[in-house]
Amino acid sequence: MEKKSSLIFSIWKKYKIFLYLNMTIILVLSLTTDLVAAGSIGENPSKDDPQQVTVKGTVTDASTGQTMTGVNIQVKGTTIGNISDVNGEYSIPSAVDQNAILVFSFIGYISQEIPVAGKTVINVALASETKGLEEVVVIGYGTAKKATITGSISTIQGDKLNVSPSINFSNSLAGRIKGLVAVTRSGEPGNDAAILRIRGSNTLGDNSPLIVVDGIANRSLESINSADIENITVLKDASAAIYGAQAANGVILITTKRGLAGKPEITITLNQGLSMPTVIPKMADAATYAQMVNEVQSYRSRPATYSQAEIQKFRDGSDPWKYPNTDWFKEVYKTSSIQNNANFLLTGGSDRLKYFFSAGYKYQDGNYKKSATNYSQANFRSNIDAKITDNIKLSIDFSGQQENRNYPTRGGIMNACMKAYPTSVAYWPNGLPGPDVERGNNPVVMATSATGYDKDKRYIMESNVKLDFTIPWVKGLSVNGNASIDKNIQNHKLWQTPWFLYSWDGQTYDENNEPLLTKGEKGYSEPALTQSMSDGHRTTLNALINYEHSFTDKHNIKLLAGIERIEEESMNFWAFRRYFVSTEAQELFAGGDLEKDNNGSSSASARLNYFGRVNYNYLQKYLAEFVWRYDGSYIFPANKRFGFFPGVSLGWRISEEEFWKENIAFINNFKIRGSWGQTGNDRIEEYQYLSSYGFGDPYFFNNTLEIKSLKELRISNPNVTWEVANQTNIGFDAQLFGDKITLSADYFYNLRTNILWWRNASVPATTGLILPRENIGEVVNKGFEFEVGYKNSINGFTYSVSANCAYQKNRIKFWDETPGVPEYQKSTGRPMNAGLYYQAIGIFKDQAAVDAYPHWANARPGDIIFKDVNNDNKIDGLDMVRNDKTDLPTFTGGIDINLAYKNFYATLLLQGAAGAVARHITSSGLYGNFLQDDAEGRWNEDNPDATKPRAWNSSDEYWMANQNTYFLRNTDYLRLKNVEIGYNMPATINNKLGVQGLRIYFSGLNIFTLTKLKDFDPETNVSGGSDGYFPIKVYNLGVSLTF
Amino acid sequence: MKNILIFKIFLCSILIMVSCSQDFLEKKPSNEFSELDVFQDPVLIELYVNGIYASISHPMSKSDGMLKAEFVDEAHDMWYNYFEFNNCLITSDNLSRWSFEKWADIYKSIRMCNAFFEKVDKGLFDNTLVDGKPLKERLTGEVHFLRAYFYHQLVSLYGGVPIIKNTYALTDDFKIARSTYAECINFIVEECDLAVSMLPEVNTDKNKGRATKGAALALKTEVLLYAASDLHNNNPLFSGFTHPELLGYISGNAQDRWLAAKNAAKAVIDLGLYSLYKANPAPGDPISQNYSDIFIAANTEEDIFVKYFLAKYGGGLTWVDYENNLPVVAGPNGYHLFGQDTPIGNLVDDYEMADGSPFDWNNPAHAAEPYKNRDPRFYGTILYEGVKWIPRNTDGIAIDPIGIIQVGSWEKWNNSTNMMEIVFGLDTRNSPIEPWNGGYTGYYLRKFIDPKIDGRFSGADTPWRYFRYGEILLNYAEACIELGEDVEARKYINMIRKRAGMPDITESGEALRDRYRHERRIELALEDNRFFDVRRWAIGPKAYNIDATGVKIIYKLNPDNTTATIPTITPIVIQKRSWLDKAYFFPIMRDEMNKNDLLIQNPGY
Repeated sequence: MEKKSSLIFSIWKKYKIFLYLNMTIILVLSLTTDLVAAGSIGENPSKDDPQQVTVKGTVTDASTGQTMTGVNIQVKGTTIGNISDVNGEYSIPSAVDQNAILVFSFIGYISQEIPVAGKTVINVALASETKGLEEVVVIGYGTAKKATITGSISTIQGDKLNVSPSINFSNSLAGRIKGLVAVTRSGEPGNDAAILRIRGSNTLGDNSPLIVVDGIANRSLESINSADIENITVLKDASAAIYGAQAANGVILITTKRGLAGKPEITITLNQGLSMPTVIPKMADAATYAQMVNEVQSYRSRPATYSQAEIQKFRDGSDPWKYPNTDWFKEVYKTSSIQNNANFLLTGGSDRLKYFFSAGYKYQDGNYKKSATNYSQANFRSNIDAKITDNIKLSIDFSGQQENRNYPTRGGIMNACMKAYPTSVAYWPNGLPGPDVERGNNPVVMATSATGYDKDKRYIMESNVKLDFTIPWVKGLSVNGNASIDKNIQNHKLWQTPWFLYSWDGQTYDENNEPLLTKGEKGYSEPALTQSMSDGHRTTLNALINYEHSFTDKHNIKLLAGIERIEEESMNFWAFRRYFVSTEAQELFAGGDLEKDNNGSSSASARLNYFGRVNYNYLQKYLAEFVWRYDGSYIFPANKRFGFFPGVSLGWRISEEEFWKENIAFINNFKIRGSWGQTGNDRIEEYQYLSSYGFGDPYFFNNTLEIKSLKELRISNPNVTWEVANQTNIGFDAQLFGDKITLSADYFYNLRTNILWWRNASVPATTGLILPRENIGEVVNKGFEFEVGYKNSINGFTYSVSANCAYQKNRIKFWDETPGVPEYQKSTGRPMNAGLYYQAIGIFKDQAAVDAYPHWANARPGDIIFKDVNNDNKIDGLDMVRNDKTDLPTFTGGIDINLAYKNFYATLLLQGAAGAVARHITSSGLYGNFLQDDAEGRWNEDNPDATKPRAWNSSDEYWMANQNTYFLRNTDYLRLKNVEIGYNMPATINNKLGVQGLRIYFSGLNIFTLTKLKDFDPETNVSGGSDGYFPIKVYNLGVSLTF
Repeated sequence: MKNILIFKIFLCSILIMVSCSQDFLEKKPSNEFSELDVFQDPVLIELYVNGIYASISHPMSKSDGMLKAEFVDEAHDMWYNYFEFNNCLITSDNLSRWSFEKWADIYKSIRMCNAFFEKVDKGLFDNTLVDGKPLKERLTGEVHFLRAYFYHQLVSLYGGVPIIKNTYALTDDFKIARSTYAECINFIVEECDLAVSMLPEVNTDKNKGRATKGAALALKTEVLLYAASDLHNNNPLFSGFTHPELLGYISGNAQDRWLAAKNAAKAVIDLGLYSLYKANPAPGDPISQNYSDIFIAANTEEDIFVKYFLAKYGGGLTWVDYENNLPVVAGPNGYHLFGQDTPIGNLVDDYEMADGSPFDWNNPAHAAEPYKNRDPRFYGTILYEGVKWIPRNTDGIAIDPIGIIQVGSWEKWNNSTNMMEIVFGLDTRNSPIEPWNGGYTGYYLRKFIDPKIDGRFSGADTPWRYFRYGEILLNYAEACIELGEDVEARKYINMIRKRAGMPDITESGEALRDRYRHERRIELALEDNRFFDVRRWAIGPKAYNIDATGVKIIYKLNPDNTTATIPTITPIVIQKRSWLDKAYFFPIMRDEMNKNDLLIQNPGY
């Protein structure tokens, strides 16, 4: 034990050095980018060689045969070069050495190096970079040729995702991969991870996919620098079974870049962006609000709060201090906030030793004025591959990331802006902040560091050592092993201080005839400090045996077997002190001794797995794969701990058949494939098989003694085990006319059984049971995915369009249902998390209308009419109807457009989702402003035919307190998710600058959105009632330099 | 060579991985206690019992500091107003924000008690005596008390409920019918008697705050008093209901029940452990101060069962269930407090004049200066216009340097504009300070609020008193009245009145009952009793078919353009209220009815 911890410590120390190194490099880089660029100008080739020739020729597209414009042709090692013209023709301006090498390059195509060898005409056909069928794809514990894959697997190149200027990589995935749903609920810096779902939701519990980075499971998607990503593979069906009991929600495999042999190549990218909320709700102005407050009071037979004269003053702004009209969002939010992202990549090496090194820095400011919110991240990665002998390869990967999150100590700023009174000032004429709503909540102050700070620092260090051993004495046999330690440290410091707001009695003026203000202390009587720390690590060890053999060049088999153990441990503690004598020393030692407090806990987990895969194909025509995993998880009791998860898939490349080739050769590739498998989901609270007790609320005795209490956490379920995902998939892949048109489609049927859920619905409350999860649920999720791509090139204009879409809908097949519930309220047969709603069918026009229809006991004109669903002449719980829609979309899709002409290129991603609803409720009334949309056209005595309800007070009204369809909004949308427009500097300019490549570009995120929603972003589910942060749009300018 | 060496190392490491095999999957939760650990260790068993105490609801926090007073004719919640509840519009789908004792929560607590009884014998207790009792006996007694308390809460709201004495396993049949009202009362009384036999008379040191013999007897008193009351005895209101046995007694004699209630109360009195706090005021004693101290002091001789709080929980730093946040929630908005729990005029008007005569708005002298010469308890319970309270915060102090409650407005002459202006008080809904938190009634809460606490920054350590001796004396008097023992009843009522500095009462018969009910309303004002009293006395219409009132207070402009120093005060309606008989009992929620088809719903739902 001791030994282990000292080893970890030494690794940690090592990491720390790397981190410092990394930060130094970034600093130096950002200062010297220009110098470096300038300094390398000046290498000049010799021009005096006698054996010189002039070279010209034509460049064509290898797949279409059409000529290509704008291809860069350069004499290797010199600055001499040219660009092909509109006819695809080029000529090198000056004579070159006959032994020279010409480099042909064009974005999206594989560069070619062709020795001149004395020739004077060199025609070249460039091949598209999409490697097509020969492309090698990362799959679980190995790789496979795309042509022979039989599972439902999607892949995407990392560089594609880098088009998005989003700071959080998870937000770059939406619309890119068919079947992967990504929803960004919040744009808060450091807190803006997208919710990811592979093929939607399949279980009542945790639906998040398993993330595997460079072969190590359970790493985090966010702790990876997007610039380092080589590619991403998503396993959507039974092919995930090799990940066993954690794979039921699908697996996302991320592979980072590795070194390429050759001279050192340095790429530097610098991005500078501006971010702003995608949409800001429009709130009612002061006069409207005052009028609505009066209406609310009148509905309660109370006197009006504001006189008509006062409302007029709010409207005309004649007395801005006594009768202000404050737009709080304008006062609190900046028009734009800065974000930047810089990356440094270095790759190179020899046949024996290749290296990839990267360093990056990201910064994102909050959207508030004088924002206390911001996020910064620094990271490095070093991937080294060494060939020790011809048979032994060693790879050593290190990466580290430091994340700094800064927040104000007061949450709910967006909510506070919606609640804040337009009739109250944000700032007084002298710039001091105005009064609060309550508890010192004035959002112009809440967003700043005037209330203290909330600093969250996280350090992530990941390492992996991999040994590859090709057994020399058995052909095709190799073994390899991985040892990985990932470390996670978090430091959190919450410093809460009193803050000050200024109020005016509304009467007294100072000598300048400005309001005479008084200062009031808010929040806390004195500063308090809470500091916490957590420390975790995960050790992954695995060993694999691979065997690959072709018999008679027809029967190809591949075998894999492996064993893996994963252990995690973590601990945390926190400490608290208050009564700080001064705000100078913001450390625990300086706090008072009274009421000081601390706490701590720890956890541990372990998994042990055996797995394997068999691949067989005949002439790469008939394909078969079998994967299995025997998985053991600490989460379950000893007798339910191990489970076997098999997956089988078959494929037939019909296009390889003679009859196909003879008749429909233009479809040059057509593969049908099908799969079936079982995977597991163990993502529940651990130890459900134990009856456990934990500390509950303290109880106080003798007026001063705080004494612990114990409570039953749950009763035990000794039979608890994982959920089983039964996944069936059929699909096809096709390519037409070379690879001009690609098609792929899948249909899936997922039946999740043994779903772990509580039997709350049928167990009466009289039992008092705190139920454990039981394997009781069954959910069916089925749908389809479709992807089509087309690319072409005309007169030097290259373009490609690809569209993907996915539809999935789940329904609960069986679970615990309350007996006696009418059919239209049953959740069985409907999607998971579908809510019960009263049906809003209009607004009571007048008292006669109220009297004429069954209504809530105290309904009045202007209230929302609830439908009497069961026609029993009264409105009660039986009139609620289970909705068919939830907050997750059923249909998602993306259209990816790439255009290139000469040195210009553009890429656009349109992304959309449909089928989801969101319930937008604001806390409006006497304690919060109304949305302008709710104010305009509302019911009142002058507008009895309104389609919107009357002014209301928070949740007093029955139609605010009870879920109903009026506030349920359609969130279908289509948005320009990403766009990038760029220009590759021609070689002539590059040559002058002494760089190999220079690209400048503009990129954007969420540039525009088509949606019916007026005041909220369609991806977010926040409303006035909860804490939230607007999703953001970003405009970004970037430059990328390659040396 | 190198190849072979590496291969060997490789093989060895695989072997190590395999051989460690499955033992390492056996992890233990490091932040939890196993059932075995808990019920063997007496220390942990005691902590488990503490958890049952912690599950008793109390009105000080509930995140909003709501008193049951707001659900009856004592107070109005400025924020939520509970309109539906106070108009008896609750249904089996919707309890209109009732968040005190809830069916599901109480049955969770009952399960905790049942589990204790099933497992306590595994405990490795010794026989050391603390406060005269061994730990095991004391804890067992406490849990009997707690279980009785929880059932009492249920029965007070629902009538007869399912009596569950054991814990359920996952595989059990969960359906169970309601027991009759009589069976429930018998069971609760048995539990109280068991508790009485096991509990110490006094708890000292760190056991202070746990149930005592007195607490169990006091509970028994309340249970029997409620059971003897009109609602549960020969009540004609629900004659059409097919299961009257669920709502009350269908046989036996009410007089026997009053006798039982009387004896139970007498048992508490005869313990001789409790007395009224400052029972015999001398002339010149600050009686109203003494009265408010009963509810602020850490401990008094009147306490029978209380819940303590720590000031560090509450205020700005935390917001948890075990805090006392009443100072911030109930305090006036002019102090940057939330002004939420405001007494209504109907309660204020019920305070007698100091001479024992009733207050009357129709009496010009009373109406001119309504807050003069009232029952001293009025001054200890209510904050009203012009009363000195605590110093203002920095922003209020310029306007009000002394700290006087301002719930009125001043008509002032502005010489420069030659017009009358209205200046609103700091604690009104037109205040320059947080007007939206101003109360509607013209009154704020003083009872239970420690003036030393700045609610903005701190919670209060003021205990909540579930049972105090004053209530027991009144319970005793009530039983005596119902048994026709007027002399004995008057004696005990007058003990309460003497402490309050009020003259003795002399009524008999029906008039005595009315006077007693009035006295109980005043002495126990806002203490969560009234809610149950108006139900068990079956006087719902009297308490709810009223308009809740407040006062409008104006310092009028005199003809000479000076402003009056004595305000004109007029009563105003602040909330319409109404009564339906179904509200004598709570509905069982539709969901629960659906899960257990043996349950019978209460009438009217």
